[in-house]
Amino acid sequence: MPAKSPQAHFANAPTLWAASLRHLLRHPAQLALALIGLSLGVATIVAVDIATSSSQRAFELSMRAVNGAATHQIVGGPDGVDEQVYVRLKTRVLPDGEPEVALAPGVEGYVSVGDRDLQLVGLDPFAAAELNGGGATAGGGLAGGGEQNPIRWLTEPGAVVMSAQTARQLGIGPDGRFTLSVGGRHYPAHLIARLTADNSGYDSLLLTDIAQAQEWLNLSGRLSRIDVRVPDGAEGSRSVETLRRELPPGLTLDEAPRRAQESLDMTAAFTTNLKAMSLLALLVSTLLIYGAISFAVVQRRRIIGILRALGATRSDVLRMVLIEASVLGVVGAGLGIAAGLAIGHELVHLVARTINDLYFVVAVTSITLPTSTIVEALLAGLGTSLVAAVLPALEAVGSTPQLGLRRSVLEERAVNLSRKLLLASGALAVIAGVIVASTTRSLFAGFAALFLLLLSVAAFTPAVLRGLARVAAAVLGRWSPLARLALGDIAASLSRTGVAVAALGMALAAMIGVSIMVESFRESLRTWLEHTLQADIYVSAPGPGAARPERQLESGLAAQLVAIPGVDQYSLSRIVNVESPSGSLPVNAVQMAAKNYQSMPLVEGSPQRAWPAFDAGGIVISQPLAWRLRLRVGDELKLTTRSGEHPFPVVGVYRAYGNDRGNMLMNLPVYRKWWGDKSVTGLSLYLEPGVKPAEAIARLRSLSHGRQSLLFISNSAIRGVSMAIFDQTFLITGVLNWLAAGVAAIGLVSSLLAWELERSRELALVRSLGMTPAGTAGLIEAQTAFMGLAAVIAAVPAGLLTALVLIDVINRRAFGWEIDLHLRGAQFVNAFVLALAAALAAGLYPAWRTARFSLASEIREE
Amino acid sequence: MRAWIVVLLLSASAALCAGAAELGDPALAPLRGGPGLTGFAVADKPREFEFPRDHGPHPEFRTEWWYVTGNVESEKGERFGFELTFFRVALKPGTQRAPSGESSAWRTNQVYLAHFAVTDVAGGKFSFAQKYERGAAGLAGAQAAPLRVWLDDWSFEQQGDVWKLRARQPGYALEFEAKPEGAPVLNGDHGLSVKSGEPGAASYYYSIPRMSISGTMTRTGTGKGARGAVSVKGSAWLDREWSSSSLGATQAGWDWFALQMKDGSALMFYSLRDLDGTRDAHSAGTWIAPSGESHPLSSQDVVIDITDHWTSRRRVRYPSGWHLRVPSQSLDVEVKPVLADQELGTSPRYWEGAVDVKVSSEGQSAAGASRSAAGEGYVELVGYQ
Repeated sequence: MPAKSPQAHFANAPTLWAASLRHLLRHPAQLALALIGLSLGVATIVAVDIATSSSQRAFELSMRAVNGAATHQIVGGPDGVDEQVYVRLKTRVLPDGEPEVALAPGVEGYVSVGDRDLQLVGLDPFAAAELNGGGATAGGGLAGGGEQNPIRWLTEPGAVVMSAQTARQLGIGPDGRFTLSVGGRHYPAHLIARLTADNSGYDSLLLTDIAQAQEWLNLSGRLSRIDVRVPDGAEGSRSVETLRRELPPGLTLDEAPRRAQESLDMTAAFTTNLKAMSLLALLVSTLLIYGAISFAVVQRRRIIGILRALGATRSDVLRMVLIEASVLGVVGAGLGIAAGLAIGHELVHLVARTINDLYFVVAVTSITLPTSTIVEALLAGLGTSLVAAVLPALEAVGSTPQLGLRRSVLEERAVNLSRKLLLASGALAVIAGVIVASTTRSLFAGFAALFLLLLSVAAFTPAVLRGLARVAAAVLGRWSPLARLALGDIAASLSRTGVAVAALGMALAAMIGVSIMVESFRESLRTWLEHTLQADIYVSAPGPGAARPERQLESGLAAQLVAIPGVDQYSLSRIVNVESPSGSLPVNAVQMAAKNYQSMPLVEGSPQRAWPAFDAGGIVISQPLAWRLRLRVGDELKLTTRSGEHPFPVVGVYRAYGNDRGNMLMNLPVYRKWWGDKSVTGLSLYLEPGVKPAEAIARLRSLSHGRQSLLFISNSAIRGVSMAIFDQTFLITGVLNWLAAGVAAIGLVSSLLAWELERSRELALVRSLGMTPAGTAGLIEAQTAFMGLAAVIAAVPAGLLTALVLIDVINRRAFGWEIDLHLRGAQFVNAFVLALAAALAAGLYPAWRTARFSLASEIREE
Repeated sequence: MRAWIVVLLLSASAALCAGAAELGDPALAPLRGGPGLTGFAVADKPREFEFPRDHGPHPEFRTEWWYVTGNVESEKGERFGFELTFFRVALKPGTQRAPSGESSAWRTNQVYLAHFAVTDVAGGKFSFAQKYERGAAGLAGAQAAPLRVWLDDWSFEQQGDVWKLRARQPGYALEFEAKPEGAPVLNGDHGLSVKSGEPGAASYYYSIPRMSISGTMTRTGTGKGARGAVSVKGSAWLDREWSSSSLGATQAGWDWFALQMKDGSALMFYSLRDLDGTRDAHSAGTWIAPSGESHPLSSQDVVIDITDHWTSRRRVRYPSGWHLRVPSQSLDVEVKPVLADQELGTSPRYWEGAVDVKVSSEGQSAAGASRSAAGEGYVELVGYQ
């Protein structure tokens, strides 16, 4: 409790605070629910922050773990950089005065150990030490192994080093032997040392000598990249220029942070969506706190009136309310941070798994709680509760001492306010519409419009509730005076019921909107998969990462596989990333079967013209890529080929959901001509009529047995896998969505509980007039159920609108893909059930209490 | 990454560098014999030397080096000492292959290490650098005909009838042409240089005691004063040695002298130090007459008194002046470093520096003193703690 300030204050300030404290202690349930609501809201932001920042941090650490001192990188095409380029650069004689440049080669790829995916990093210890400024004093690092390690690193085939933690998780002991797989080929490996560094940068890495990495990844003669460290300033720029001049065509020299940022940018749309979901939860809890505090104020109108009459000034009362709100905010934020840590711990695995599935291999083993998140959470908690408390506080202060004692004044105001809010709601909706209409690409504007739309829902719900209650009271009241009483009561108590119902309405609208969006997306994806996956069997080299060059069929194997009896047509594909002035882009180079052409759903360009142009060297790009790079049919896209940059004409745009960064199809012979890469990532086989896929798979399996473990998947299985990945990705959205709805439901429970408790005298009166305890309980339940229903009624159209914004604005702007709207009853039923359950739960305690309280004691008070 | 790579490197360099004793500098332990030797060739009897074949590498032995040291001077009289040394170390006997499939060009048991030091007498500066590289993929290696030893952009290679030396480090770069004056001189017993009583503790060792040098020394630093290329001329010494085990268990290190006298004669002598500080009986050297004729020297033939000491920043106390006599050759000289600090802070650290050779006061009165009136040279001090 704050110390008393001199003069001007209410002479009996302790009385004020005692009243405040006593009130809170006498209504512990209300206090608890408000706190839970606020802390859940805060927890959601904290959890999302933790999950995304931990994943990003893990990624950054693993980038820095390998040649962190590099300022630049030299990269090439899908098959990397010729190692002779590195040797030439290392052995070149620099002109006098040219500054020294440190260079280190790297060979990287993804491998699997058991069911864990790791990034294999092949490095040259000598060059890495020079690049990282070797010669420094030795620190701790290698655990176990002793002095023989460096010799074993270079001389022992299969020697690898990994973090002690990863080794523990994989159950590999010191000096342990295990098998790793690269694209379906298996190799023996030997853990010669474990890293005990205190950060987690190494947890997703498997380190080995560059020679070993080349052999395992089938990259003899090739490097994934050359790390470069140039001095700072003008000298460095000169070195960079010299290096650029000396590089053969097809290689590019980029700043290292840019490369890392490019990888992180891949996840930007994904993390933005998560962040928006968490803000939604907080927004809902703002309304909740508003409800709780305004109740606390309303319930104390009497005592506040008395205190004012006794000499408490307006600022005393204002201070009291705002300090109460601050305490609530800080405590709620504190609890929220704690809960957020716990939720974040779980959420981080979901996020990391999605990132692993869609973007890059990352192992999140330590949780990062950035200081900024703590500050953000505290500010959010404090800000939320202060913003929520301002109106009730002003209201308490605004009334004269006498008026403060009267509730009817407040209700009158609430009714006025609900009319104003209705206008505001319209204005918000119009602004949201204008924002959507006037911007075309800004994702931020899309989210702004979405939030305005949700606020607009919240703003019109009280009016909907009042209108519904009045109409229902008028209609039902003809038959049942009790119904008129119950419904009239709701309409008349808008100051207390309106806010809770608004919060619920908003959360339900969001929930309905998100679930329609997810369902529509799912359905569009399913239809698309059915349409595009027409081949009977898909063959590919297994492994993490979609466009990884190490995922390739053993040379010669593809030709044998497609030659088995029963194959009618086949497509060959090579899936890789190529460099371009717009960054690294995935290319699916295909030699298409005739049937394959028919199954590609073009959204731009006609099949009659697009496919012949494709065969002749054009590219067909996916919708997300077209959106991201602003490309249309007739445009050109420059790609860095083996002989330098070359423009490729865009001849078609196809619908695709596989990759939110976009993808492009290129004719395989065209790709081979420009990149000289003869490998094949996968095959799709169209069987002759009557040939069973299972039999064909058995034949394929026996052909590849002993050479390479390949994935043979029938089209139905591949659809299943795709849908499973989809569902996993949206699991997070679902979790957050339910969190937001949970916050709203708790808000409803808390508000209605308080309202019903406040009416206990009124209810006692009803009972004394002859109503049975069961009847009173029924009355209460009916009232709360009605309010739940009102929230649903407001939420359904709003939810549909939200879904449209999510589909046509947010998804389009974030990813560029087109989703067809699919409506399902279940999406609404869920919202309805949630609202009703929350409403009924809110009525339970007052109903029970009303049914068993002593009439005499309740009425005697008057 | 960095910390452990340094660990890796430091212990790797232990395996790489030239010898010393177990109880002396632990970084030098791998040069000693022991179980690690199995599979390597051993220098245990005299062999037929054949050139240019033997200028090239001998990968069946564990260690080998190409050691060039010399003194040069510009027309203006600016003097420089230089050391450019390439070491080859086999981490394991034999060659390496991938267990299955195609072997990477980077797979090897051979590692190269090189040191490049410049003593800028006029600038009063000593500066050194070291490099490591695997002996594979064209990054580092050695070949006999034509002779070529290289590590990154540092090289020692034959071009026509000259041998070219090239190296740069922050501050200095050199590009020299070296012309051998005379045939290689075999040290010890026809090139077999026995280092201790232990079996196999010996190396094959030859020198080219005099190579005329011409070329440019470039100061590339940003510091005050001279910057730019300077034409220089002078003389260098090439030491070639390979072995699989060269030190005995009781030896702590050595002091090596390579002195070129103005009259065309030259002296090589290594004084092996035992752990108790005394000179080991296997210490030996070679006296090369101006005619090119060489005479082996035993430990008793050479008398050395230390006349001065110097303590490095790394708190190592080195001898820093000698009174050296070879009575049988009427040699009596004072040997003085041109700069006290010529310590290489590598692992292992050692002192390798340019020296002046002056006729001592006793020597001046002796007969034949004028024949070797003075000279220049290099001294190497290894295994000091």
